[in-house]
Amino acid sequence: MSKTYFDETHCAYGHPKSKFMQWMLTIDHKRIGIMYAAVMFFYFFIALGTAFMMRLELLAPGAQFLDGDSFNQAFTLHGVIMIFLFIVPGIPAIFGNIVMPLMIGAKDVSFPKLNWFTFWLYVVGTLVAMASLFTDAGFADTGWTFYAPYSITTGTNVIFTLVAAFILGMASILTGLNFLVTIHRLRAPGMDFWKMPLFVWGIYATAWIQLLATPVVGITLILAVMEKYFGIGIFDPAKGGDPVLFEHLFWIYSHPAVYLMILPAFGIMSEIIPTFSRREIFGYRAIAISSASIAGIGYLVWGHHLYTSGMADTAKVVFSFLTFFVAIPTGIKFYDWIATMYKGKIILSTPMLWALGTIITFTIGGLTGVTIAMIGVDIHLQDTYYTVAHFHYAMLGGVAFLLFAGMHYWFPLVTGKMYNEAHAKIAFYLNFVGFNLLWFPMFIAGYYGMPRRYFDYLPEFQIYHQVSFAGAVLFISGVIYMFVVFYKGWTKGEASGTNPWNATTLEWHLPTSPAPLENHTKVPYVDFNPYEYHHGQPVVKFDYKTMQRID
Amino acid sequence: MDVNNTLSGFNSMAATFSKDVDQAFWINFWISIILGLSVLIPMFYFAWKYRASNVKDEEIENITHNTKLEIAWTLIPTIMMMFLFYYGYSSMKTLRTMPAESESIVIQVEGSKWKWKYEYPANKNGFVHKITSVYDKKIGDVKRGLYVPVGTNIILKMTAPLNDVIHSYYIPAFRMKEDVVPGRTTKQWFKADKVGTYDVECAEYCGTAHSYMYSKVVVMEQAEYDAWFATEGKTPYEDANAEPISKGQALYEDNGCSGCHSIDSTDTIVGPGLKGIGEKHDAAYLKNALVNPDKDVPEGFFPGVMPPFALPDEDIAELVKYMQENK
Repeated sequence: MSKTYFDETHCAYGHPKSKFMQWMLTIDHKRIGIMYAAVMFFYFFIALGTAFMMRLELLAPGAQFLDGDSFNQAFTLHGVIMIFLFIVPGIPAIFGNIVMPLMIGAKDVSFPKLNWFTFWLYVVGTLVAMASLFTDAGFADTGWTFYAPYSITTGTNVIFTLVAAFILGMASILTGLNFLVTIHRLRAPGMDFWKMPLFVWGIYATAWIQLLATPVVGITLILAVMEKYFGIGIFDPAKGGDPVLFEHLFWIYSHPAVYLMILPAFGIMSEIIPTFSRREIFGYRAIAISSASIAGIGYLVWGHHLYTSGMADTAKVVFSFLTFFVAIPTGIKFYDWIATMYKGKIILSTPMLWALGTIITFTIGGLTGVTIAMIGVDIHLQDTYYTVAHFHYAMLGGVAFLLFAGMHYWFPLVTGKMYNEAHAKIAFYLNFVGFNLLWFPMFIAGYYGMPRRYFDYLPEFQIYHQVSFAGAVLFISGVIYMFVVFYKGWTKGEASGTNPWNATTLEWHLPTSPAPLENHTKVPYVDFNPYEYHHGQPVVKFDYKTMQRID
Repeated sequence: MDVNNTLSGFNSMAATFSKDVDQAFWINFWISIILGLSVLIPMFYFAWKYRASNVKDEEIENITHNTKLEIAWTLIPTIMMMFLFYYGYSSMKTLRTMPAESESIVIQVEGSKWKWKYEYPANKNGFVHKITSVYDKKIGDVKRGLYVPVGTNIILKMTAPLNDVIHSYYIPAFRMKEDVVPGRTTKQWFKADKVGTYDVECAEYCGTAHSYMYSKVVVMEQAEYDAWFATEGKTPYEDANAEPISKGQALYEDNGCSGCHSIDSTDTIVGPGLKGIGEKHDAAYLKNALVNPDKDVPEGFFPGVMPPFALPDEDIAELVKYMQENK
């Protein structure tokens, strides 16, 4: 049997014999993607556990087993992990690495050694972030937003977290740079931008945000560190600084960052929908351009986080107006996906179930975002559970759900095995029902005035917290179950073959599954669109030895 | 169980603009339902109609464009979005258009860890009402609040001490909030046309006791308000014949100490309980604990939580005396 990328690898340094060192030093984009996934999900489960602790504390009003300070550290830990360690590297780090080079017919990313360095930079960042858990002052209690002057005055160990976020930002910039160059320079001959799979478009738009927006948060975090330790007086009002400036700088990055999270997720959606509708995608160019325009408009709307910050009313009007224009390209994508299902042949495999489930959750997440783009309404809903629920519907019910969809979709590509579909579907339904039960009541609680980041609350709100708790139990069981299904699939699953889903894009035209070390045997010539089907069958067929078309 | 909210007065639409905000919310709600269904109904229908068992491979059609439809689903949502933008804007307009100060009562609001202070304009005798509002965990309610007459414009000029953090003054029943920022003065206003009590919450995360930084707005009949305002009474509801309290105790309450420190027990609220503190510590320690609390923090507590109290020397002395007497 021919060798796969699990059997041999290129290393950043030397030719180590030990399997372990081969993984540590690997520069193969597929292995690096897997290692990102391993580290990210390790932290994901810590943050999930922390969230569950908070739900448990909130099951009844009054202090149960956490006091105010521990609760504040808990939601900070949850937010810092989920944002900076999990969802910002997110889909690009995992599938941008594993799949994107395969989709464009490349042997690897443009700078494999930089990719290796970036991964380890990310690991160092995560360790620094977690290190403060073990210091005397304890983990930061600022929330993941680090608002000044709170972050300047708190006695907890903020510096570790700020420095960690800076390092992780650096890793994110380097990933973006690497992907941009890869997409520009390493596309297979013939593949112009309009022949790229839409996932590549998503990664491309995201890479620009990573490269251009992340430095702003880097600068902001450095300024916060300088303020805290050297008292430069830029955010500290006692020295004539302005705390609202911090909020602006923070959101200039952090708002584009949510598009950085969602755009690759939309890319996964655009891969799954045509594959499981067995037909060409509707409105390819509209979807591609809408990704680019969301990335562009996303820079101009940060002020909608600051409607109640004391910002000038005129500025609020401008930011609100611009914000509504993000909704339009997003809406277009959704209509295009639905239109793709029209007169197709819908195969409800697990990836498709996840994709359709996400259409439901993200529709709710997106439209409730429109609510809080409305200035007058947001003045009421800002900093309440309504906003929290919106954010989780968009990020968990959008980004993370599509990441899970992608994991089901590309599982056979990565492992060469197939998981048990029946069990995977049960896991989906557990997740989906649990998720909605967990988050939907928060819209109502928020509308009625339940503020976020409260560890104790008025007894009026108890019913919502109880329903949420039940949802949390279901949801977490679903997530654990899903990983059990993956584990069993990888260890005991049947061989999947190279193209189990009848998909069209290049990552399914590999000679073996799992892929060999350097991917396609030869670089293919691309003179076809990414989703060409005829009568439900992929049009383009290759001889995998020569990578010549044989259709 | 009642799933309605019972935050005091939430459903009363008591402020003049509450209705506008709710109207904008419900317009948004129904437009969202329409837009959401325009995605979800076809999704479910197609998933059922074109299910694998129902479609032969030859029947699949690769439709990739439909200009008319694409224009429709770009243009119609755009119009709806502009509609929502307008209602967001117009509801903000009523919320944020301040009345003239000459036709309003202007109240200074100070938010600090973890209490709200209100300062009124001088009454006709030149007396200035100053009220400190703190949440008392023991009774589960707010002690004192913001007392205002019904049907009158109230302007809140809000700030936080320079060494404090950002808070946000949120009255859910009125649908209004605005951050309270150290070093800045932010403003909001309301006119309540229904007598009642309305909860106030701090909506911007501010640390240990963020979830206890409540206050309340008490909207009163004009006559009742006037009667109180003319006097020097602490609040309209406090018993004028109650035994007079010591100056130290008054300072203890006015500075919101009770929000964090229990005076008659050693239980921790945020900071340590103060029962018996007079026996444990001398005057110098107690003074230092007030003016420079981060210097000598008792075991089990953290620096950075209690703000230093920059009070006049004689007030500090009274507070120290009050604590020394607490045996």
